[in-house]
Order: sequence, then C-alpha cells, then structure tokens
Amino acid sequence: MDTLTLSRRSLLHAIAAAMAGAAVPFGWAEMAEAASHLHEAAQAGGNGKISFLSAAEAADVEAITAQIIPTDDSPGAREAGVVNFIDRALATFLSQLAADYRAQLAAFQAAFRERHPSVASFASLDSRRQIEYLKEVDRTPFFATTRLLALLGMFSLPTYGGNRDGAGWKLIGFEDAHVFRPPFGYYDRGYPGFVIDPVKSK
Amino acid sequence: MNAQTFKDSDTVDFVIVGSGAAGGVIARELAQGGLTVVVLEQGPRFSLRSFRHDELKDWYLGGITNDAVKNPQTFRSDATKKAELQKFKPPLWYGRGVGGSTLHYTANYWRLHEIDFIERSVLGAIPGTGFADWPITYADLEPYYTKVEWEVGVSGLAEASPFDPPRSKPYPMPPLPVKSSGVLLERGARKLGLHPIPAPLAINSQQYRGRPACVHCGFCHGFACEIGSKASSLTTVIPEAEATGRCEVRPESYVFRIATDDQGRATGVAYFDRDRREHFQRARAVVVSANGAETPRLLLMSASPRFPNGLANSSGLVGKYLMFNYGGRADGVFEHELNEYKSVQVTRIVHDFYDSDPKRGHYGGGGLDARFGPGAATWAIRALTDGPSWGSTLKARLKEFPRSMQVSSHSTSLALESNNITLDPDVKDAWGLPAIRVTYKDHPDDLATARFLQERCAEILEAAGAQRVMQAPVAEQTSSAHLLGTCRMGNDAATSVIDRYHRSHDVPNLFLCDGSSLVTSGRGQPTMTIQALAFRAGEHMVRFAKRGEI
Repeated sequence: MDTLTLSRRSLLHAIAAAMAGAAVPFGWAEMAEAASHLHEAAQAGGNGKISFLSAAEAADVEAITAQIIPTDDSPGAREAGVVNFIDRALATFLSQLAADYRAQLAAFQAAFRERHPSVASFASLDSRRQIEYLKEVDRTPFFATTRLLALLGMFSLPTYGGNRDGAGWKLIGFEDAHVFRPPFGYYDRGYPGFVIDPVKSK
Repeated sequence: MNAQTFKDSDTVDFVIVGSGAAGGVIARELAQGGLTVVVLEQGPRFSLRSFRHDELKDWYLGGITNDAVKNPQTFRSDATKKAELQKFKPPLWYGRGVGGSTLHYTANYWRLHEIDFIERSVLGAIPGTGFADWPITYADLEPYYTKVEWEVGVSGLAEASPFDPPRSKPYPMPPLPVKSSGVLLERGARKLGLHPIPAPLAINSQQYRGRPACVHCGFCHGFACEIGSKASSLTTVIPEAEATGRCEVRPESYVFRIATDDQGRATGVAYFDRDRREHFQRARAVVVSANGAETPRLLLMSASPRFPNGLANSSGLVGKYLMFNYGGRADGVFEHELNEYKSVQVTRIVHDFYDSDPKRGHYGGGGLDARFGPGAATWAIRALTDGPSWGSTLKARLKEFPRSMQVSSHSTSLALESNNITLDPDVKDAWGLPAIRVTYKDHPDDLATARFLQERCAEILEAAGAQRVMQAPVAEQTSSAHLLGTCRMGNDAATSVIDRYHRSHDVPNLFLCDGSSLVTSGRGQPTMTIQALAFRAGEHMVRFAKRGEI
C-alpha cells in the first residue's frame, strides 16, 4: 500500500507540507478536529443490552441478519453486533419505523409457526433450513427492511452499536482515515498524465 | 466576523429565502452591489468542525439535510393514486443548513452545452411534454459559468473535450489526481474510440482563495467537507456577502409565507425562528432560492384571495415540470485493488453521448462518469450481485469492495406537467405546515435513454478489462437530489413562471432562482448552471434595484 494512514500529528505535518508558505485562514483547526473524530469512532457503542426487541424477537432478528451477512472466514452480522444496532435504531434514531417493523416481525414469526409448527422459532432452526425458509420470504417488505438495517448496522460508525471493533470495515477493506495520497489503487500507479488527444499527438 | 444585523421591522432591500447554491451567490452579488440583504435559512449554521465521516447520520438521519421525520414527504407515481408517506428517506433530498445542498453535493461542475438551450428548436416538439427552448442561450450564460469557475473555484482542464462549448477562460485550477476508476474509464473509453476527459469539480486541487487543497478523505458525496476544500456557499460566497457589512444570514429561520399588498407586490416574508416564534421580515423585494422543491412549496403556501392558486402561479405551472435526471449504471469488478472509497467521487467523464440522436429512436442524451458510489453502507445496500442479494453471494460481493467501481450515466428528463410538487392534503411537517407531495413517473424516452447509456457504461467496463460487469435494472425513479424545472423561466407568462431575469411574471418584486428555474434538465450535475444563473440574476437585480425597478 502506498497510501498513508496518518496519525493526527503526522496528518497535520502533511497538511503543513502541502500548504507550505501560504496564509491559511481556515482548514487547520478543522483538520485537527477531524482527526480527533477517529478516536470517537473507534469506541464501540452501547452496552450490548437489548431494549426494544424481546429476547425471542432479538434471537430471530439476529438469526436472519446472520443469514443475510453470514460468517465465513471473515466476520458477519453476528460478530459485528448488528442486532444490537437494529434494536437501538428502532428504540431511538429510527423509531419512526418501529411500529411497522414490530408488526412485520410478528407476521414473519406467525407465518413461520404455521409452516413449521413443531419448531420453536426461526432462530432454533439449523442454518440450512433457515436459508431454505428465507428463500421463500426474501421478497417481503420485512426482509427488505431487515437487510437494509443489517447493512447499515454492519458499516455505520461503531458508536451506533453495530460494526463492533470495525468488523464491517475490516471485512471490506475500508480504512477510515482523513488523509490519503495518490496513488490510491493499483491502476493509477505510474499514470503518465492526461494526454488531450492521443491519436493526434502521435 | 461581525456581520451586519437587521431588525425584522427594518425594510431591507432584499430578503433571500435560502442560502445554498443560488441564494449564497445572489446574497454576495447584491451585498457587494451596495444593497442591504437578509438571508433566511431553514437549517442551522454548521461549523466545519461539526462535520463527521458519519454515513448513517448524513445519509439516513438528516444530519445536514431534510429528514423523513421533521420534513415528511409523500410520494405517488401518478395523480390517480394516494401519495404514501415515506417514513425512511424522503424522496426529495436537499441540504438543510447555511450552504444548502452545496454542503452535501458531489461537486461535479459541468457546464450545459449550447444545445441544451435550443433543443426544442433543433429537435422539434415532443407531444405530451413541456419540452421548450430556454429564453437565454449558452452565450448569454457563458460569462457567468466562467465567473463560477473563478469565484467559487473549479478544478478542470480546458480544451480537453472535443464536445465542450466555447469558454472565455481556462479553469483556475488543474484537475484532481486521477483515481484507478478514472484510469480504467480512460482506458476502456479510448479502446472504444470515445473521448474521456478529466472531470471538472468544485473541489480544490490546490489551495485556492484561502481554502486548502483536497486531502482525498473520500467523503464528498452526501457529506459536508470538513476542511472546506469542496466549495460550499457556507465557505465561499456567504462569508464574502457578510464581509460587505450589508448582509445578515439568519439560520434556523423557516419561511412559510410571502406576503403581498393591495397592489399585488411582495412586502416581505413570515417565518418561524428556532423557538417557533413567528416573525415578519420586511423587504423591498423578495428572492426565493429555496431549491426546486421548497421554492414552489412556498409559493403554493402563499396563496391568498388575490392569488388563489398560489403566488406567481397565473400560469398554473408552479411546482410542475419536475425533472430529476436519470442515473443508470453498471458495476465492474477488477483483478486488482482500486480503493475507490478514497478521494473525490469522479476523476474522468465521457461526453460522447451527450447530444440526443434521432437514430436511437428516442429523445435524450447524457454524460458518463467513473465513480464508486457513496459511503460503504450505501455501496453495500446498492451492490449488484449475481444471484440473491443476501447470504453467501452478498458476502462474496462485499469482499470485492476494494476491487469495484461503477460507470454511471447522468441523463435527460423530459418536462411533464404530471411530474410535480403539490401540498399534501393530509400530512403536515413538524411545524404544522403542509408536507411536500411528490408525483413522479419517468417518461418512456428517459428510461430508453437510461438503458442505452447503461449499455455504454457496461461496454466501457468490459473494454477496460473488468472480470465481471453487472447492470442495475432501469426502473422508474422514486427519489432524487436534482430538483429541477418547477418554476421555469420563459418569455411567455402563460407558459412560464419567471422571465429571463428571474423576475416572476405576476409579482414585479419577487424573484425566483434555483433548480426550479431550469427549462430543460441538462445531463445531470445542475449546480454549476444554478450558480451561473444566480450570478447573472444577481447582477440584473442590482441593476433593477438601482433604477428603482424593484
């Protein structure tokens, strides 16, 4: 990697170098402030206690999200604490969705009981049969909302309760830094510069 | 800075509703022209240091924009249906704070081309639409495009594109460093005989007018720039307006009515302050630059016995001809890492398909660009997969994040009366005012253009050597951040809302300037044109004011 992740101090040095000799009315304080946000973001959010969903609801939601973003050789929704994010979202910052979501979840559970009367809950089913069941319902609004919330929980700042220890960011190779420098990737390395009309200039 | 403050009871020369792309520019032009100005902004005044890399907040919780709870909106595809309240994300998305949508825009700054202003004459009428020529031409607007580039600050490379319209000056800054997606777009497009060019952006590639160069943090699209490298009215024209000592910007001031007197002239505006107390600001003239959704809404809310269908609405066109632009796309996965989440969204664009071509069998054209999409969560939500959008296929797709890019198209929307903004009869916002009701359905030609351009996006990715290329289905749009055409400009008072100088046909001291002024949609990236219009409108307003013509 040629890109640099910089600590707050080296970040300020980088900006200083980039703007050497210039009078800069603003930018400096903001950069320092921005860099300090990294520390905020790194602190995992919440105490992990579920407050909006019941234990049985939380178990089903966690099981569904774990099938949406499964765990393999890398973390999935479960390791990222996505159910914690969803619970917090419905209780607080997305509370306008709570009533609809709870009703949809109840309908999901009722339909599941009808389909599998001898099974205690979706969460208690084995993984293969969970996937089979979800394939039957993955076009419902409930599934779409759960997928949306799961992905928001996976990749939002850890302060919102999911993306525990940056698990989502690690999964996709995203680095939350405030300064990068070119080259950014493989293909812009050694770029010779833009030529206006390569045909004519030959 | 000790900016001037005024009392409500002072009659200022101009009160401006909105402090965004247009409102900020007009405030500066008027104040520098010697006039007194109060700018009323419904959102707060943010400090740069309050901005975060917080995708959930800025994309989904209205951190710097309107949100679904305080500012609810309803949506329907046509007038036969009941519009449904959109509880998660409002269909029309705009910046809500000093700076308006220049807080969260991507800052792609394309000029319109000469053809955009005269397409109706060149191509002929399109039945069932409001397709029309502009009352001004590219030549009328060119000096103001140049003014935007130099006053606001645009990075780019003049003479790079064989399709660019004439320009009087080069860009003040060179283009931003190319990204891997830009290199691949350039490679693929050139193989196909196309003409990729560096993207013009209102983002500093070097220090400019006291604002620092971009540090490539990657949080432009949907986010506010925490160091001010991305130009925003908050950091450019607004401080310049205040520096004159003749302009006051009043945040958290939510205008709900424009008042008129017995002669049908505007006398000022009524607004709520942050504590929801009512105020009335007197002014010799009123400028509304509240965006293509809020401007028509305010006119409709200002209905009175003299103006029963809403203010300045004798044409019946206030709120109508809403245009979104279409954004079709193809996603590509490459062998090596691109790390597209770093730096600005776009570094290379293609304008070969800009013009409408009758041979395609439908109206429309557009520009293409290389980009990655916004933040990680939104990228994942929108990620295209071969197979189910969950489970092992989604997981595998997520791991491709560093090796992914998209080529997006940005294309025309035809003006239709049936696409519009009205006041919802039932739903109210947090202040008890009628919510915005959106009625929108893409014209079949707009969808055909999107499909045509999407094929071109996919071809470029394939030519660039993508391992896999996926195309998003072209479906009818239900949301947009491009809010265009709802108070259109024209010479005829029967078929337009404002004249060529942005003065409303019906109320002589009421001016409207923002996305609502556009007659045609262009090919996306409207802010450049909105600001050029605003510089031009501001110049004429100063002239009118000095001649006693307001």
